[in-house]
Amino acid sequence: MSNIDLLGRRKFIAGLGIAAGAAVVAPAMAMSEKADGVKWDKEVEILIIGSGFAGLAAAIEATKLGAKDVHIFEKMSYFGGNSAINGGLFAAPGTPMQKKEGVEDSVDRMVADQMLSGRGVADEVLLRHIASHAVEALQMTLDAGAEYHPYLQQLGGHSVARTYQTAVSCGAGITQPMYKECKRIGVNTHNRSKFEGFLLGDKGEVVGVKMRSNYHFEEDQPGKVMNIRAKRGVIMATGGFAQNVDLRMAEDPTLTAEVGCTNAPGATGEGMLEMFRLGAIPVHLAYIQSGPWASPDEGGFGYVSNYSIFNFPHSIAVNRLTGKRFMNEIADRKTRADAELSCRDEKGNALPPILITSYKDSKVHPNTEKVIKYNVGWKFDSVEALAKHFDVPLEALKAQIAEYNGFVKTGEDKQFAKDMTMAKNKMIEAPFTVVRLWPKVHYCQGGVKINTKAEVKDSLTGQSIPGLYAAGEVSGGIHGVSRLGSCSIPECMVMGMTAARSLMKV
Amino acid sequence: MKNFNIILGLVLLGLTSLSAQSVEIRDYHKDVIGNDCKTCHDNGIKQFPSDEACLQCHNVDDLAKQTMPANEEDKWQNPHNNLHYGKDVPCQECHGEHTPKKQPLCNTCHTFKFKGYKG
Repeated sequence: MSNIDLLGRRKFIAGLGIAAGAAVVAPAMAMSEKADGVKWDKEVEILIIGSGFAGLAAAIEATKLGAKDVHIFEKMSYFGGNSAINGGLFAAPGTPMQKKEGVEDSVDRMVADQMLSGRGVADEVLLRHIASHAVEALQMTLDAGAEYHPYLQQLGGHSVARTYQTAVSCGAGITQPMYKECKRIGVNTHNRSKFEGFLLGDKGEVVGVKMRSNYHFEEDQPGKVMNIRAKRGVIMATGGFAQNVDLRMAEDPTLTAEVGCTNAPGATGEGMLEMFRLGAIPVHLAYIQSGPWASPDEGGFGYVSNYSIFNFPHSIAVNRLTGKRFMNEIADRKTRADAELSCRDEKGNALPPILITSYKDSKVHPNTEKVIKYNVGWKFDSVEALAKHFDVPLEALKAQIAEYNGFVKTGEDKQFAKDMTMAKNKMIEAPFTVVRLWPKVHYCQGGVKINTKAEVKDSLTGQSIPGLYAAGEVSGGIHGVSRLGSCSIPECMVMGMTAARSLMKV
Repeated sequence: MKNFNIILGLVLLGLTSLSAQSVEIRDYHKDVIGNDCKTCHDNGIKQFPSDEACLQCHNVDDLAKQTMPANEEDKWQNPHNNLHYGKDVPCQECHGEHTPKKQPLCNTCHTFKFKGYKG
């Protein structure tokens, strides 16, 4: 193997080490307790845990509605969570750009798309609530200074173009302006602050939290624990648990440490688990979405993810051991992720498959030059060079390419029944661009049960837990089996705003 | 032989003492700070310093200018002023004094090459 591939393999192995290490480092044991006789170190009006879209939206909305003392606590040293590293794709019906482009859309239509994707078990009431307020959330980002590409996109599963994307194609295009807006209007932000449990009043209501200061993620940490009273309530905006290998494996045993993760390192789920301790209802925890578009050659979402998403329709995914295709390249995410995980060498070790695309088709996308530049993708002038580089059986690969090109001509994939509409006239031919594929856990549909006021429901009483609210990926059941792309930002922001409105009694 | 063992024991004891007392400090920090631990350790010796400790001597705006990539296209690949977090990532996230960091925060996801990086 060439040196380049060795580097890729070493990175892959190193990545495994990091993931395996993460599993060993158990989260600190949090514990909620009665607040009787507690000495309060601090009193705040509104206490928000987490600094992504949901937390930032809650803070801004609460302040707009008259709150004087709003605090965001973030366990990491930097603000933004997963929101700061996502694709910045924001779906909403009835937006200014839709009106300008003459796109007919509605709350009903968006909700119908989401119910279909959620396989009928999504929460229609919450989806309707979110779609109804999505334009307000979009406006909040614009007011804070966010900028978007001047065109709408239609993502997979959406029946119409309704998705805005930030001008930097990243969630930071929203989190940065909103974080600055928080500073401008006087929201108090605290980094390195680790939530360690709730403090409960006489009736089991949440009256405050225990918070460890000077927290350094994954370090042995003697920082002081403070008792903080929340006069109006606590908003949990702590995100998903994709980085918690033990928890995700408990729900879906295929998601071992071998499966990477697109998430920020802090997405470990303690906030959610602590709410379960209080009696919150767990919903849909096993519905965990992996990205089959990810690469073992870079961390997180990287550049390959968007490259692959664009190219899957007109590319072939090839098992390097056999030189053959092994899946429909545009099947649903779970099907493809499992198929990729099944690619093994003779000893059963992971052998990440390759995605082969004609350069004439891949070069249209801006990420193609990036993946080549950063050595997470490769360009080859011949199938011989490609096969040699990745140690793929040459004759089998040639035969596979010829067979697939036959499907391109006829419009019918006899191997995997791939819909060949988008592959029309796009033969696989040199020069090629190639990336390695390996799934990464991307989004947890599950979390705590909430209602349209962002209140957290108690499993025993069926009533809301007073003083406790949750917004964003930490809540569950909203999207059902599968979340549509670009529907997380509107959910996080609308429910963050909703939690603020509930606390301010709007 | 008895005398040799005594001497060997003393030498080992000395090494142990030295080992117990020595803490890795970068030469350029040792030159400026000497052995005054409190210069950085504003939370006491047993905890990490606050994120403000480094900023007593270093200015993030100056650093952002120094590490600005030459290419306009790559302007957000500036470790001190990046796309995701602006200038707000604390120094300790990428730099460790007594135990060097293995890689900058950026490289948990990207494969950037930062030439001057000292973990």
